[in-house]
Amino acid sequence: MKPTNARAALSRARSAAALALLLALTACGGTPSSPTPEAAGDTVRNCDVDVAVAGPPERVFAAYQPAIETAHALGISDRLVGTAFLDAQVMDAYTGAQADQEYYPNLPSREELLSHEPDFVFSGFNDAFTDESFGTRASLRELGAESWILSPLCPSEDGRTDETIDPATVTMDSVYADLRDLGAVFGTEERAEQVIADMEATVEGVTQTLDGRVAPEDRPTVMIGRPSDEGFRVAGGPDFSTEIIDLAGGVNAFADLDSRRNHTVATEDVIERDPDFILVDVCCDAQMTSADAADQIGQIMDDPALANLTAVTAGQVEGFTFADRSAGVRSAAAVATVAGIIHSDLFE
Amino acid sequence: MAHHVAERPASPGPAVPGGRTRPRAGGTGLLSGPGARGTGLAAAVAVLVALALASVLIGYQTLSAADVYAAYAAFTGSDTDLVVRHLRVPRTLAGLAVGAALGVSGVLVQGVTRNPLGDPGILGINAGAALAAVVAISVLGVSTLLGYVGFAFLGAAVAACAVYAVGSLGPDGAGPVRLALAGAAITALLGSLTSAIVLRDRASLDEYRFWIVGSLAGADTSALLQALPFLGAGLLLAAALARPLNAVALGDELARSLGTRLWLVRGASALAVVLLAGAATAAAGPIGFVGVAVPHIARALVGPDYRWVLPWSAVLAPALLLAADIVGRVVVRPEELQVGIVTAFVGAPFFILLVRRRRTAGL
Repeated sequence: MKPTNARAALSRARSAAALALLLALTACGGTPSSPTPEAAGDTVRNCDVDVAVAGPPERVFAAYQPAIETAHALGISDRLVGTAFLDAQVMDAYTGAQADQEYYPNLPSREELLSHEPDFVFSGFNDAFTDESFGTRASLRELGAESWILSPLCPSEDGRTDETIDPATVTMDSVYADLRDLGAVFGTEERAEQVIADMEATVEGVTQTLDGRVAPEDRPTVMIGRPSDEGFRVAGGPDFSTEIIDLAGGVNAFADLDSRRNHTVATEDVIERDPDFILVDVCCDAQMTSADAADQIGQIMDDPALANLTAVTAGQVEGFTFADRSAGVRSAAAVATVAGIIHSDLFE
Repeated sequence: MAHHVAERPASPGPAVPGGRTRPRAGGTGLLSGPGARGTGLAAAVAVLVALALASVLIGYQTLSAADVYAAYAAFTGSDTDLVVRHLRVPRTLAGLAVGAALGVSGVLVQGVTRNPLGDPGILGINAGAALAAVVAISVLGVSTLLGYVGFAFLGAAVAACAVYAVGSLGPDGAGPVRLALAGAAITALLGSLTSAIVLRDRASLDEYRFWIVGSLAGADTSALLQALPFLGAGLLLAAALARPLNAVALGDELARSLGTRLWLVRGASALAVVLLAGAATAAAGPIGFVGVAVPHIARALVGPDYRWVLPWSAVLAPALLLAADIVGRVVVRPEELQVGIVTAFVGAPFFILLVRRRRTAGL
């Protein structure tokens, strides 16, 4: 996916030249507020879209938890012009930095977004860049805003969403590669390397602890989901949950549901699969923590239809957050959290 | 809600040619004579029982009749026992109750408005009930069915009045197609309001799609028991209305001369429809088309006599709903299609056929 796509860069340089010519000819030349990044010609590829590297963005809008936390982690909190849609409390290290931000509980409209005059729109999920929301990435580029989707959620085409996620991108390595690329885009390479090193160390610690102690056939099955009106809403194969559970020494009980990230499944399906662990992924409030899962855990534990589930009889229905199943800077900590739950004997 | 076409003797709608004079041709139905109708009804009940059994047996895993028997006679607490007792049987019972409510309320709406397109789904009544329930749940924090079913009744009544008010605008008054169009428009409006609330409720994401397209998948015994008294009251009221509806079918003047108190019939019908459609929607979300299709099928079989049409509809509607629910469980395995989607697939073409057939009459 990386790095420079020479042809795109060339065409960009060409259009920049054309623009310069046009400006000179019409002599309407109000000085552009920032140097055109295209002029430098270097790009990084993100989900099949070339993103200019030179001229680091100064006005970044971060949509969704993973993007907001990643922005803070990369040290560009002071460049954020707006943040939107947290799924849970931000990581402890960033509560101070986030407290100062302009925050929208839901995604703002395209117009509201553009009123902040962002030069970079960074989204934690692919659905921000659809016609129903901010508009496609190409349409934002026309207005001078580069954009980024965390690449474990790359849709096959700009403007598309979860239905077209490329499964090959749903890996922790994609997260690291993104952090490296974003470090280059924002001009904070060292910070990015540090974040990556910390995350790798956390995951490596888990891997080492598990190494040789959990045979493949002994890996517990884990369901990440929550009760819905029609059964359960669970994380399927293309969701980043699958990678988190895998690195934590478990198996996503619904990994074979691979058409979308989220699936509504019948209660009978849950009974049939009988997951060893159920992680209730509460969501979507800036104050949310895994402790907020208590009600839904009670609902599962008390459901007479679920009385025989291994997770229920063994008391292995635990609180979790939707934020912790998302790809981003908290994913390494999420791996450690899940490992601590499903292999509690090996972790203290 | 219910009254209207009949109050405007000058304006029979386009689909009710000839307006108030009955009886009309074909008034007997395929099954003529009480014997045939009675035997036929017994056969329909048998089909319903068979579908109910199939609904218990068919699902994520196919069960055998022995499994079901064992779940009650020799309960061991096995997975199968739990699935039967806590999932399949409650879902099937919900299908029976909700289906009967939808079918009978369809008969009442069609009968009292003499509108062949009458249906609590089409006339926006279910959508109103759903919206009110969603408001109660997400804005007022009501969480028990007993708590929000009252809101569902209120929403059903308000939506019905709104549809009638919109449908009777203009010089021609409230014709059947006009009312159906108003109902479709109001349904779309209410549905989008429901979506807006459900989608903005960030805790829910899309878990509450149930309130946009009805489903039996979440049925549980306690909610069903809470809805049952309202459904029972609505069905009893409907049973008492069979004779008066026959009189109403003769036209306002004739009905009056026979001693029928029209306002009482209309008021009681409206109450029954609100109870039935409101409780059904509170229990299973808005389900359309069952209420419009089934009364027509019943009339085609047994003719226009409401003493037959009502019980036949009460049997055929749950049969249709259960069949649709079973289909929804099977076609997109391992996921499920909501029953409201399946009934729309089957019902929408039927509805279009009704609208296109000028001589729908029969009411």
